[in-house]
Amino acid sequence: MSTTTTSQTMSISLRVNGEERTLPVEPRWSLADVLRRELGLTGTHIGCEQGVCGACTVLVDGTPQRSCLMFAVQAQGCELTTIEGVTPERGLSALQQAFSKEHALQCGFCTPAMVLTATALLAQNPHPSEAEVREALSGNICRCTGYQSIVEAVMSAAKEA
Amino acid sequence: MSTVLSKPRFTGARVTRMEDDRLLKGQGKYLDDIAVPGMFEIAFVRSTRAAAKILSIDTSAAKALPGVVAVMTADDCDFLMKTDEYEIAQHVLARDEVRFVGELIVAVIAKDRYIAEDAAELVSVAYAAIPALMSMEVAVSPDSRRVHGHRANAFAHWDKKTEGYDEAFASAPHHAKARFVTHRQTGVAMETRGCAAMPDPASGRLTVYVSHQSPHQFRTDLITVMGLEENQVRVVVPEVGGAFGIKAMFYPEYVVVTHAARVLGRAVKWISDRVECLLSDCHARDNIHDIKAAFTADGHIIAVRDRVIGDTGAYPIMGFPGAVGEAGWATNMLTGPYKIPHVSITVDCVFSNKAPVGAYRGVGGPVGAQVQEGIVELVARQLGMDSVDVRRVNLIQNEDFPYTTATGNVYDPGSYVQSLEDALRLIGYESFRKEQAAARARGEYLGIGICGFVEPSAGVSSEAGSTPYEAATIRLEPSGKVTAAVGLGPSGQGHETTMAQLIADELGIEVADIVVLHGDTDSAPFGGGTGGSRSATIGGGAALKAARDMKGKLAHLAGHLLEAAQEDIELVGGQAQVAGVPSRGIAIAELARIAYTDVSKLPDDMQPGLEVVARYRPAQKVTYSNGTHIAKVAVDIETGLVKVLDYVAVNDCGVLINPMIVEGQIHGGVAQGIGSAFLEELRYDEDGQLLTTSLSDYLLPTATDVPPMRVEHIVTPSGNDGGFKGMGEGSLIAAPPALANAVTDALSSFGVLVTEIPVLPQHIVQWTQGKETVLS
Amino acid sequence: MKPAAFAYRRATSVAEAVAWLGEDPDAKVIAGGQSLIPLMNFRLSRPDSLIDIMHIEGLTDVQVRGDKLHLGTLLRHEALSQHETVLRTCPVLAEAAGNVGHWAIRNRGTLGGSLAHADPASELPAACVALGATFHLASTQGTRHVAARDFYLGFLTTAMEPGELLVGVEVPLHSEVRYGFSEIARRPGDFALAGAFVELSSQQQGAVTWFGIGGGPERRPVVLTADRADRARVWREALQSVEMLDEDAYRIQAAMTVAERAYDQAVGRNC
Repeated sequence: MSTTTTSQTMSISLRVNGEERTLPVEPRWSLADVLRRELGLTGTHIGCEQGVCGACTVLVDGTPQRSCLMFAVQAQGCELTTIEGVTPERGLSALQQAFSKEHALQCGFCTPAMVLTATALLAQNPHPSEAEVREALSGNICRCTGYQSIVEAVMSAAKEA
Repeated sequence: MSTVLSKPRFTGARVTRMEDDRLLKGQGKYLDDIAVPGMFEIAFVRSTRAAAKILSIDTSAAKALPGVVAVMTADDCDFLMKTDEYEIAQHVLARDEVRFVGELIVAVIAKDRYIAEDAAELVSVAYAAIPALMSMEVAVSPDSRRVHGHRANAFAHWDKKTEGYDEAFASAPHHAKARFVTHRQTGVAMETRGCAAMPDPASGRLTVYVSHQSPHQFRTDLITVMGLEENQVRVVVPEVGGAFGIKAMFYPEYVVVTHAARVLGRAVKWISDRVECLLSDCHARDNIHDIKAAFTADGHIIAVRDRVIGDTGAYPIMGFPGAVGEAGWATNMLTGPYKIPHVSITVDCVFSNKAPVGAYRGVGGPVGAQVQEGIVELVARQLGMDSVDVRRVNLIQNEDFPYTTATGNVYDPGSYVQSLEDALRLIGYESFRKEQAAARARGEYLGIGICGFVEPSAGVSSEAGSTPYEAATIRLEPSGKVTAAVGLGPSGQGHETTMAQLIADELGIEVADIVVLHGDTDSAPFGGGTGGSRSATIGGGAALKAARDMKGKLAHLAGHLLEAAQEDIELVGGQAQVAGVPSRGIAIAELARIAYTDVSKLPDDMQPGLEVVARYRPAQKVTYSNGTHIAKVAVDIETGLVKVLDYVAVNDCGVLINPMIVEGQIHGGVAQGIGSAFLEELRYDEDGQLLTTSLSDYLLPTATDVPPMRVEHIVTPSGNDGGFKGMGEGSLIAAPPALANAVTDALSSFGVLVTEIPVLPQHIVQWTQGKETVLS
Repeated sequence: MKPAAFAYRRATSVAEAVAWLGEDPDAKVIAGGQSLIPLMNFRLSRPDSLIDIMHIEGLTDVQVRGDKLHLGTLLRHEALSQHETVLRTCPVLAEAAGNVGHWAIRNRGTLGGSLAHADPASELPAACVALGATFHLASTQGTRHVAARDFYLGFLTTAMEPGELLVGVEVPLHSEVRYGFSEIARRPGDFALAGAFVELSSQQQGAVTWFGIGGGPERRPVVLTADRADRARVWREALQSVEMLDEDAYRIQAAMTVAERAYDQAVGRNC
């Protein structure tokens, strides 16, 4: 019925890392692209745009979700947390420090997503078993580390807490 | 100078990485994070035919779309990939003919990627399809249709035979044969490829950002193809999110991006999406090895015949024709850690209408090890021996070093025997057979698979290029902080930390006081990038050399200021002091201040400033690391699924700079090995369409697929400075064979011998369904 | 992989959503988007307009009324899999929901989305068919009820009419029926290569509902005895009437395996 719609922009309001941001977006712009390009939050990475690799994971209302499988317009009204939002003003969080201590990152591309997923896991389940950690992280692909050090980092952070 | 550091603080220590802080905060800047105001983005129109003449291209609708800045075809961007070594004949944008699905035809440059993709859809290409040549066995025949009309499908051919082979083969009492196949796979880094070119905002000089393993090799390739002047091009490699050899190749997209930036006078960026990654990143493996082995009754393998066909794909890659690499390294390393005296090798690398094959971690090593360990299993099976005993019978012993293999490699000392025995102990081999028998009685199938590997490292050439040395600069800043720079191209290996560890030990300072730069041709000295497991050895050697040169200058200056002999000066705790007398010392920071701003205090023979540049050429042309991997699996014969229960790796890479980083490399390579053995396959249909164009089809191992592993280290130093050996690829060389052999062992009662990977559920079900087991 | 352009509207009520759907037959509903957005990113789906229903209130309830469990269609898979009432009254449904994809997908994907999208490899359509659920479809004409067993018509095709919106699912609670579930995937969380729900009523009467092997959920009433070889014959016979995705011997083997394992689980369950 309608003719092809081109670049119609809408003004939306996104609550990111506790801050309200209002900006014009096209409906088809993914949340990942808007976070990265419009808000300069490039810690969220794009790896596949089909919801498989998990590199784009952000927290939406506290739970890990794929920002490549959300249009920014859908995120209006949600609390969004990116890696920038779980990093303290100075230094690293306890979980981030555990990652470094255990060498749980190499190239770093999957890392922000791993940290956010682990943050959400520990909030829900402060003392997960190794199997629970692996299951929770199974939607985040890492091609460098073989996962062992990541699992150890999360377990170690859980123990310290 | 002694090659062994006395009491190093950092070398050999599990130093946490300098890279981590920014990466954990999400502050690492990868290629797609580079955004410059007014930058344009490119989307490509890629061939949807595996083989076709291009009849016409209509870009008019694309050009007319609002937001589109330019649309380029071969007429607008007329460059050929080129090398002096062999003919490539690949137009950067296809002209007249396409030869694989995914080949570049048109470039759309627009305000953003969304619009560029809208416009790309509006381009129409008319093809006249040609029957696609998809089988390498067909391509070997001189009657097969030529992928390149003017030249035969055989890109490379060679034969190699040891003297006395025929007699040795014929006179051996036992023979066996098998065909080993590794299907097409690729590296799939989490960060896809990308490139952004622009006139530098300040100087106007051309700057090209690229996610790559060697900034200097990239620059050399770019100026070769485009006829640019080397000192007018700056290449900057930002944070790289994984590379694995895939990003060491030179790809046509980079030429198009650079040309568009020059023509438009603006910043232009292209980032690959995941479909493009699977279509057009270099592919790997895809070999057939037809093997005949001759052996004695007690398991000595006397002679091996290996007839190889390697699928090159549609074009030989510029600088590294991967099929030659895959077949070359596989056959060169065919005998692995075993004393096999005779080989007869014939290799054909042929063209096909698939994507070009290049380098992927291991480069032929994995396939070679699969063949080598498959032969061991074959021999063991035929003689009714435990394959461990076949290995013991054939392994090169310590007293045999230096050992010259049948293919002409000279192995420096390693720990082949010890690594096998240690790995067997670690996995609990002695009790395993009982455990296996008990499981079989319950209808469960457990298996153990072994791979002893030898990894050629730090060779004079690798997929990163042919630079037989590495470079390091060290500059002491006026405040005493150290800025170093190397020609390496890291993508997660932690060179900023490992190189700093070496320098810190030489100069007696903290790792945290050293910044190691890399990736920018304006600041990084001409070097060889990262690849071929060269960085620790050759890069480390360069860092040591530069550090010692700097140490000499500091000692010279300190000796002058302290009125002591230079030979009596040591660098400890951040100062230069008379050896053993800390009260007679000067802080390094003070030496630096003097060298730059208080120059009247300098000795007459010393000029102001503290900078050195050093290049290290290793004494050895190549050094061989080694190890043994053992995998323990459970095979579910009803579902065909394999679970990896346990995994051990004993690794000998000589002196370790940072054991934590070494272990990380091993874990990662083993995970890729699990992918290679059970999950990963690039599949084309008979028309040449790639069926696996997403990560739902090309499956990568996740945290629930990879078990916890145990790693142990042995140290047999190399003869190079520092005693290092490279080790980045050994784990991916050893893991697929260990895993394949584990399935062989688990299903031995069905007579299964795995010779083709990946092993898929349907294979396992086919091999076991309704079959009677033979209890051995 | 960027999607084609579309217009976007957010509905605040079912009435509003169905009114818009009625006006514009080319519009598509988007809830969690976990199935739709990948298709759009590949440009395999190009709706010119999306109606976002995710923020409509009142569609996430879970309630037992009499012998029926009522579920709102905007319930996310994670919530469904963890819900105390579902775990208590219909644990096989919770288990099915917990097997959908990975945690991040379950945090956003919805029950209604999965049921309407009808991917043949997905768990929830087959669960609803096995459970004999009824779907409530709203439109400008009112609400109609369709049995799940009548809803799935073939590959990605359902009995939903243009202008309709799935707004509720009603699951009958039969305490005397025991259910089992099993699936095989290449990696945990992947789409099923084969999956099955098995129902065991009294007197060996039962049924198997397969998914992942044909164009949609395939339910077959069967008689199931305690004899394993006999059951193998039953599964094989039942499979003969299923139009399978391929002739693959592996898929048949996988289908038999999941049926048998689902049976084992049903036998082992108390409810």
